Amino acid sequence: MSEEEEYDSDMDYSDNDCGYADYYNVADDCDVEIVDPSKMDVEYFVFECLTVEEVERLLNESVESLSNSVQITPSLAKVLLHSHKWCVQDIVLKYRGDSASLLVVSKIKPSRPPAPQTSTHHACDVCMLSHEADNCCGLACGHLFCNLCWSMHFEVQIAQGISTGIACMAQNCEVLAPEDFVLNLLSRPKLREKYQQFAFCDYVQSHPELRFCPGPNCQVVVRAKEPCAKRVICTACSTVFCCKHDFCWMCLGDWKTHGSEYYECSRFKENPNIAQESVLVQAREALKKYLHYYERFEYQQAQLEAEIENLSWKVERAETTHRGELENQMDVAEKRRGTLLKDFLKA
Amino acid sequence: MTALPRRIIKETQRLMQEPVPGISAVPDESNARYFHVIVTGPEDSPFEGGLFKLELFLPEDYPMSAPKVRFITKIYHPNIDRLGRICLDILKDKWSPALQIRTVLLSIQALLSAPNPDDPLANDVAELWKVNEVEAIRNAKEWTRRYAMDN
Repeated sequence: MSEEEEYDSDMDYSDNDCGYADYYNVADDCDVEIVDPSKMDVEYFVFECLTVEEVERLLNESVESLSNSVQITPSLAKVLLHSHKWCVQDIVLKYRGDSASLLVVSKIKPSRPPAPQTSTHHACDVCMLSHEADNCCGLACGHLFCNLCWSMHFEVQIAQGISTGIACMAQNCEVLAPEDFVLNLLSRPKLREKYQQFAFCDYVQSHPELRFCPGPNCQVVVRAKEPCAKRVICTACSTVFCCKHDFCWMCLGDWKTHGSEYYECSRFKENPNIAQESVLVQAREALKKYLHYYERFEYQQAQLEAEIENLSWKVERAETTHRGELENQMDVAEKRRGTLLKDFLKA
Repeated sequence: MTALPRRIIKETQRLMQEPVPGISAVPDESNARYFHVIVTGPEDSPFEGGLFKLELFLPEDYPMSAPKVRFITKIYHPNIDRLGRICLDILKDKWSPALQIRTVLLSIQALLSAPNPDDPLANDVAELWKVNEVEAIRNAKEWTRRYAMDN
């Protein structure tokens, strides 16, 4: 039985033909008709599939809320939200506690105050030409460069897929260029569009409730309040995937805890028991799956026997005219149950 | 080919007029973006006395992208591999358009004085550098004598 069929039949619990409603009601041992879906399907959990526009609206709500509560520009609010997993309350608390260090840690302000620039002309360190001060600009760090060099810098960075991570051009300066600064200096519409697309991807990836559907060319973003290792079915392309971002095959733990060791599991290296534990976990899962189908197999088999008994009893008692029809019914019932049982065995 | 940016012209002029001690960088006759570089091995390093040839190329989007630099002379160093490729942060993610050819070459010279076996490119060299530094330095001196002297 494939995942999809199983899913469908689980959803069909109101259909009495299937026998599932009886089964679950008996199992729950209660008279309430509505069954808690989380009990019915171990993979059940609450998620929604959002379009790009819906996600933009959702992100903008956070941006507006933060920029209103701490009085900063929406662009800077985005930088803060991106570096703080989009948790508005967390940022507001930190901002009210020590706004200066929050802005330094979030790479909005430099750790040391910039030297004031007063001259009317400025030699750009990148193109080595002298420019009028009007044609130069810089970030909060005070490193001034000419507008043309800035836009060339952005172009090269965007071509490499970098957007929210574009930093000041000065050596060892980590101050990030916020969205309005970049967009003010980018004139080509295609480049602006690309920049906004990349930034959108970065925002979705830094948002703990959001996850891109991995289906090919699918634009849907799945939102789950509590992302966990559960099954998600995309409403747009029917791709089935796991809602937990990434996990390690070795220890089945969260991949994020694995740091930069991409090729070996450090948890495994430190404690080889994890592999055994993981084998145990896998065995337990396999057993659970077996039991899940076995219970249903057993139930259907019992039903089949009861039905055959019932029908043969009827056949015995029936008059000859009805006999053929009843025998036919019995045959059909037997075949139906037989197919079902075979399906369970396959699963 | 597009005109050479003002910055490359200025950098080249300055490299010729005020050369950095121990470093020479001369643009190729037919390609002003390609430099023939010679770096002398720093004093008190296993590379002392050696003359190391490198090639440096300024890509189309320089200085927004880092120059491409490679050792041509064979060198025994944990951060330089058999093909002469160099593991140096400012040539990769720590590149800044405000850096110049001279600062890059100075950083490479500094790398010869301070090998970093914890961030290796040549794994076998780095391994020996960590477990038996004396032997690694002996190898580096031997390679310097064999490949970087009297050529």
